[in-house]
Amino acid sequence: MNGVLSISTVLNFGSAGLIVLGLYIVFTQKNLIKMVIGIDIAETGVNVLLVSTGYIKGNTAPIFSKAGLQVSSMVDPVPQALVLTSIVIGFGVSALALAMIIKLYEKTGTLDTSKIRGLKW
Amino acid sequence: MVNPILLIIVPLGTAFLISLTASFLKNSTKYLALLAMIANVWVSIKLLPEVMQHSINVVIAGVKPPLGINLFVGPSGAVFSILISAAGLLILLYSFKYIEGDSQHKYYTLFLLLITGSHGMVLTGDVFNLFVFFEILAISSYILVGYEGKRNGLEAAVKYLILGSIGSVLILVAVALIYQEAGTLNMADLADKFGMIDPSKRLMILVFFITGMGVEAAVFPLNSWLPDAHSSAPSSISAMLSGFVIEVALIVIVKFVYSIFAMTEILGFLSLVAVITLLVGEFAAFKQANIKRVLAYSSIGQIGLILFAMSLNSTGGINAGLMQIVNHTASKSILFLVAGFLIVRTGSYQISDYRGIAKKMPVSAFFFVIGVLSLLGVPPFFGFFSKLAIIIAALHTGSIFNTVMVFLVLLGTVIESIYFLRIIQVMYNRDGIVDSVKEAPFLPLLAIAAFAVVILAGFLVLPQITGYTGGVASEIVRKMQMAQVF
Repeated sequence: MNGVLSISTVLNFGSAGLIVLGLYIVFTQKNLIKMVIGIDIAETGVNVLLVSTGYIKGNTAPIFSKAGLQVSSMVDPVPQALVLTSIVIGFGVSALALAMIIKLYEKTGTLDTSKIRGLKW
Repeated sequence: MVNPILLIIVPLGTAFLISLTASFLKNSTKYLALLAMIANVWVSIKLLPEVMQHSINVVIAGVKPPLGINLFVGPSGAVFSILISAAGLLILLYSFKYIEGDSQHKYYTLFLLLITGSHGMVLTGDVFNLFVFFEILAISSYILVGYEGKRNGLEAAVKYLILGSIGSVLILVAVALIYQEAGTLNMADLADKFGMIDPSKRLMILVFFITGMGVEAAVFPLNSWLPDAHSSAPSSISAMLSGFVIEVALIVIVKFVYSIFAMTEILGFLSLVAVITLLVGEFAAFKQANIKRVLAYSSIGQIGLILFAMSLNSTGGINAGLMQIVNHTASKSILFLVAGFLIVRTGSYQISDYRGIAKKMPVSAFFFVIGVLSLLGVPPFFGFFSKLAIIIAALHTGSIFNTVMVFLVLLGTVIESIYFLRIIQVMYNRDGIVDSVKEAPFLPLLAIAAFAVVILAGFLVLPQITGYTGGVASEIVRKMQMAQVF
């Protein structure tokens, strides 16, 4: 990379891009499934941001896989633990969202938020 | 000493126990939920006097903070635990007669998870843990909103879920930035280190955090989900969501702004947002014909009022806001719970269909009037003292801005009184069109009566209540410090 772009910068901008893209999808799309996809993309962006906070250049994964590995040569394990939790939560929310959308589709016969007019969207 | 972790473990464990035993206990699982809630009330009441002496810090899994996760129970945690578990217990009693059908165990499981999440959010001492409890609370409330499986409920639940997920994404961004900049997730440690972060990044973290939490707290432009979710949910759940869930999110925001981020310069902006929230809520409530939408919009107005009191940057203001939270929890729960059986008995959400219902359901109508009067702040109800305290605290700051805001708050109250008194007038109309409706059953009325006792007898124990809320207020305005905690 020769110091032009560090990996942290790339990850920061990449995650910001994913979050903005995801939120843009949620706010512009009318299809409920697409909105859920947008939320998933935004969540992925946050996960990238989280995992990049623990990155230390040149260090390995925080697993004692071989003898002689030093703690000082590992990346920060805390964000990796956080990101695991957040992936599981994100998965749960997406599954719940899709299940509810299926139920809603059974009642209304449409996925278009502008056509579901029981309440104000 | 009772261990505050019981407040989280007991409902969480019982929730799983209920799902495990549901196949042979059938609908008797509700008694398990009752036991868990009684235990919760007992633990939180035992906790309060101890915590008033000195804060309790519970280390989880043997790893000491700032590395491990901890529970930090100060006065605010204890007072909110009592509020959550007491309101939860009464609403649970109400649910016994209100929730019907064969899959009741699902309702009680989610009910207890909602209680778990609320307790966790006020008790935790770790920022990421706060996010996890926030998700427990949010996910269980999404499902409970759509519990009845009707079209409106499902639609409101999906809408709530989408907006809530955006909120949780923003909170997680704030958490990631906090860890990136401060290198810690422990709240007390963060309070020590937050001042060293670059000011622009500090503002960024604050904005992400407040916006994310603000979705759940229903602060003005982020509250479009609330009227739908609170009005389409089963009435017992509406009472919980309006009674303490939005307040829990609000108190988390207030706690972070004062004692962790210590960025009180944002408060002027927050009080402006608060007054806009209040006016938007009250004006929107004025136009509604559906009783539960009136109550839901009125909750937005009340949240605005509470946030206004809490963003005055004074102990008196926070104290007044806490009193208003107690008042709102009790009176709004009464209103939603009464509305629940009005809807069950008449089969209609429209206020105009309740003409003359006070003759058929005199007890319910009587409690509805008490709830309304306390919400409006009519003496000698508890609401009078909390509203008075808010106005005194606002005028005490002496700034012209706050004086103008007080006038707007009073304007909001006037609008509020017009639409609520209109409902009462319909209910007590002499030439009723409602016939053959029965009074609500005894157990729900008992739960409603217990809430009514709080706001009727509140002024008798006012010095004690302000003693506790004052302790909470002085805890919140003080910056949290690592050295104090450990």
